[in-house]
Order: sequence, then C-alpha cells, then structure tokens
Amino acid sequence: MVKISNLTKTYGDKKALDNLSLEIKKGSVFGLLGVNGAGKTTLLSILNGLIDFDEGSVAVDGLSLRDEKRAIKSRSSIIPQHLAFYENLSVKENLDFFASIQNATKQDYEKAIKVNSLELLLPQKASTLSGGQKRRLNIAIGLLNNPKIIYFDEPTVGVDPKSRNEILDSIKEYKKFGITVVYTSHYMNEIEKICDEVAIISNGKLIEQDTLENLLSNRVSDKITVEVMPRDVLQTLSLELLEPTLIRTDAIKLFETIELLNANDVPIKQIRYGSTNLEKHFLDLTGESDA
Amino acid sequence: MLRAMIKKELLLVFRDKHALMALFVMPAIFILIMSVAMRDQFSVKNIEFTLYVKDSDKTEMSREILSFLKEDKNFLLTDDKTNAEFVVVIPKRYEKNSKKKVSINVQNSIKNDQIEAFKSMLSEHILKARFNFMSQSVKEYSMKASRTLSSLDVATDALYKVKYNNSKVLPNATQQSVPAWIVFGMFFIIIPMSTIYVNERKQNTLTRLNSMNVSVLAMTFSKSVPYFLINQVQVWIMIAVGVYLVPFFDTPALSINGSVFAIFEIATGLSIAAIGLSTLIAVSASSSEQATTIGGISNILLGAIGGVMVPKFIMPESMQKLAELSPMSWGLDGFLDIFLTAATATSVFEDFAKLLTFGLVALIISMIILQIRIKKGL
Repeated sequence: MVKISNLTKTYGDKKALDNLSLEIKKGSVFGLLGVNGAGKTTLLSILNGLIDFDEGSVAVDGLSLRDEKRAIKSRSSIIPQHLAFYENLSVKENLDFFASIQNATKQDYEKAIKVNSLELLLPQKASTLSGGQKRRLNIAIGLLNNPKIIYFDEPTVGVDPKSRNEILDSIKEYKKFGITVVYTSHYMNEIEKICDEVAIISNGKLIEQDTLENLLSNRVSDKITVEVMPRDVLQTLSLELLEPTLIRTDAIKLFETIELLNANDVPIKQIRYGSTNLEKHFLDLTGESDA
Repeated sequence: MLRAMIKKELLLVFRDKHALMALFVMPAIFILIMSVAMRDQFSVKNIEFTLYVKDSDKTEMSREILSFLKEDKNFLLTDDKTNAEFVVVIPKRYEKNSKKKVSINVQNSIKNDQIEAFKSMLSEHILKARFNFMSQSVKEYSMKASRTLSSLDVATDALYKVKYNNSKVLPNATQQSVPAWIVFGMFFIIIPMSTIYVNERKQNTLTRLNSMNVSVLAMTFSKSVPYFLINQVQVWIMIAVGVYLVPFFDTPALSINGSVFAIFEIATGLSIAAIGLSTLIAVSASSSEQATTIGGISNILLGAIGGVMVPKFIMPESMQKLAELSPMSWGLDGFLDIFLTAATATSVFEDFAKLLTFGLVALIISMIILQIRIKKGL
C-alpha cells in the first residue's frame, strides 16, 4: 500500500528523516513507534502530502507522491493529534461541512457516524462534548472520504480508558472495510493491542520493522533478563540492574551471571529470554526511556 | 465545496455575539453619538450672539435695524445688559448724520474671530437699513434711483460666491459621522476574521482542509465572500441609521446626493481592502491574542490618520497629506463625495481603484504567507 524508499527530509541543519525506507502492507494495521522528535509526525505529514520531502521516493497505492499528490490526498486521511474541527458548530454541522468538502457519499457519511457511535450526539455543539466524544468526532471526520489508508497521529492522547478502548475497537473495525491503518502512539500497549506490524524509528532512521509477533519473540533479541529475590548484596555485584530485582545479561554472560548469584546466595526466581513486551524491546533498541 | 466553506464561515461569525456587536452595534452607536455630539460644531448656521441694543436715536432707521436683528436667528436679543455678549448702542442723530458710528461694547471672554463675525453680520443689517433710508430720501427726485437702492442686497451670501478647493463642500455632523464610522466598522472585520483564522490554524483545521485538497486560494476566497456580504449589510444598516434614526435626536438626517451605484462601488472597494488587511494580519499572527491586538491597534491608527476620528478638513496640511496613506481615508473621501456632491461611479473611481489595489495586494501577500506556513506545517 505504501512504499517508502530512501526518504530524507531536513529542517535547516537537522535531518528529521534520514534515508528512511519501509513498506506498509495493504489492509494492515501498522504501528509507528518513536520517541518525541524521532520523525513520526514529519513522516505522516509527508505521506499526507502536507509537506514536501527532499530526497527519496514515496508511492501510495501505486501512485507517486511527487507526481500525484492530489490523487493520493483524496484516497487517504489523517486523524491529527489535536482536535481538528469547529468547536462552535454542532457535531452534524461539522460532519456536513467536512463531508461537503470531500464530496462524501451518503453511505460513507452514515458509516462514519455509526462506526464512531455519534448518532445521539449529532445536534450537540462540539464544544460541549466529552474528551472521548470529541476524539470520536475527530476520527469520524477522517472517515468521511472512505479512505484507502488512514493515518492516526496519537489519537488517544488525553482520553479516559473507557473511551480509549472504544476508539481502539473502532480502529479494529476498519480492517473489516479493507482500510490500511497507520497508527502512532506513545502507548505501547495500544500498539500491541491493535497492530499487525510495527516499525521503530529513531532520529529519523528506521531501527526495525517486523510483525508484532516476531518483534516479541525470542529470536529478535539476545537479551536475557534474570529475576531474583531481593538482596542487598545485589548492589555491590558487577551486574546490569534494570530494576532492584531484575538483571539484564545476554547468552554469553548468562552462565557467569548465574554462578555469581549462586556464590552470593541470591535465589533466582525466573529467567526470561528476549524482550518481555514491546516497551522493553523498544527501549532496548532505542536506548530511550521517555517513550 | 465553496458553498459549504462560505456557510461554515457565516455560521461561525453569526455565533460570535461579540463579533456581531463590534460589526453592527458599535458603529451604529458611534454614528449616533458622534452625529449628535458634533452637531453644533459642524453647523455654520447656528452661530448665536446674545446682544443688548440701546436705541438712542429712536428713528425709523434705528427701529428697522432693531427689527432686522430680531428676525436674524443668529442674534438673540436680551434685556439683560450685564449678561449680553455684545452691547450695541445706536447713537442719537444716527439717521440724520451718516458719519455717526454704532458703538459695540464687547465682553472680555469674546474672541477676536467672534467679534469679526459679529461685526460682519451686524453690518448687513445696518447697511440694509441705510440703503432703505436712502431709497426713501431719493424717491421724490428719482424713482429709478430709489428702486435701485432698495433692491441692493448686502448679505454676504449675495455679495460673495465662495468656491471651496477641489469643489469640496464641508459636511455636517451626520454627513461626516456616517461614512467615517461605516469605514471604521467595515475594517472591524479584522477581529472576527483573524480570530477564526488563527483558531483554525491552531486547531489544525486548516491542515486538515489542506489534507482534503482544499487550496490556499479556495480557503482565502471562501473566507472573503462572507465578510464581503457582512460589509455590504453594514454599509446599508449604517446609512439607514443616518437617514432614519439620527433625526430623532434633533440632528440633520443623512442626505445622499450621489448615485447609489457609486455607494456600491466604494463599499466594494472598502470591503476588499478591509478583507485584504484582515487576512494579512490573520495569517501573520501566531495567536488570536496577537491578531486581536495588532488588528485593533492598526484599525485605530488607520482611523485616526484617515480622518475617522478627526475630520480631515480640520487637520493641518501635513496631517492631511499623511491621511492620504490610509485606505480608510480613500473610502471616506469616496463616501463624502457621494453624500455631499452628486458624485457618480466614474467620479469616485480613483478612490475605488486605490482601495481595490490595496486589498488585492494584501490578499496576494497573505496567500503567499499562508502557503509558506502550510508548507512548513503551519
């Protein structure tokens, strides 16, 4: 669905995207991970034709972004992180307006309302909606043009857990309609919950791209964590402590680590191979802690 | 698409009560207040002097002088000698002896220009009475000479034909206030327009519209049309206030001597200029607070320079030249020509052309700035 080759974008001296290449399969829910400033928003803005890129090539649904930006824009949709609608208009007036702009069909208009459960909120002024309801309206507007690909830029920021689950469930629905979803979020558990494939970018570069299953399996990392019972002596040993009772090591050093723990009477609770979840894997790869 | 965008913009403006107040109520109130407040300052007919007349001559001529003074609305004859601004004494034997002078005692508070005006107005009546007396005196010798003398009109309006530079006629208070506050009110679209624009930018709705293939030209055009319509409604409401409401406050009604088409022409030019300036401020400002402040200040400055607050004809020459730089002044000149003289669409074309050029240049610059900001991700 999307093929990005050697994409580069610079702002002054800073490379926001550095020779980035990745592929997004049609009909997949694709997670894009990266800390603030990693280049996620720049990438989404380029894919939506909102900003130009310096080098490389991008093809969306077989169309070149450089040559057929308008056609690509009409086939895609972005759900911005900030609520992009008119607070002083009602839900219906907002939907009517954005539907008219995009020549939406009645069928698509009704689908956007239904999928986001906005039926009862139509006469309500947008400013009076709850945070979750506003997010749903923000998403519904993005569905009006029946896009082939939809980009979510951290759509659950500031949303309560109940509304977040509703939004995530609705995104899963899009798969049924054959829509390709690109999803960026700071919440790794969201990515784990809905994405089929994940790309991790850091400093504008692709660090890794694979299916979620592979990323979480043992083979993608040789890192091993050893969980032990709490003991004061742990602080004095030359071990890499992730937490007071969690030691990080690798296959080569594992035997040596176990011997050292035994010698100091530290009981081992369990040994885990590979990353235990996506967040740990992400931290392993990027060395960042604020994602 | 454009219809939907225009409808959206109108809905947003008409739901902003403060904006509506600023666009319609504020200029209407200004027109009323300023027309009534400046009523006397702008009226040349209402110079009124209180005077006490002592007739020591008690002849036919002195009685005629007294009768002329009583008929003249510029003079208020009083019996209170101490409070009269002027005490006029017609001396004994005034009728018989043409070398006798009428004496005028003036209160200290009266300024020289008022004294000169008083003397000029008094002279009209004294001369008229003298000519009438002479006419009667020569009647038995020559009827023709008598008729000639009695037909002599010594009123200043009969003696002088005053032509103002560039055929400019001075407006009355309503004629000055209505166009001035129409112009000022039209430029007040800066406030709602820039606020909505900046909010759209901040809330990413402009980015969203851009992602939906809405061009900068379409964005600008769709925003301009509603404000153009609002401006046209403003013009006719303010004219209606001048024509129908102002007279209720004992102030002259607005009279329109020029063509209605010329009003449309100047209103169109002014609206395009106001929309251009508003758009320029809206796309340049980084916050709605900044836009409101810059918009408000520039509106007041352009109004002060352009003759809205202080009429141009009472400004010193250097300030009048400075006024020519303000688009508000071009619009005001156009409206004054239409209201005061029989100006046609052709005669106000120069003002229209200046306004149109200013507005279009501002709009083009705005679109370039907006395009750059969109490319940079707003």
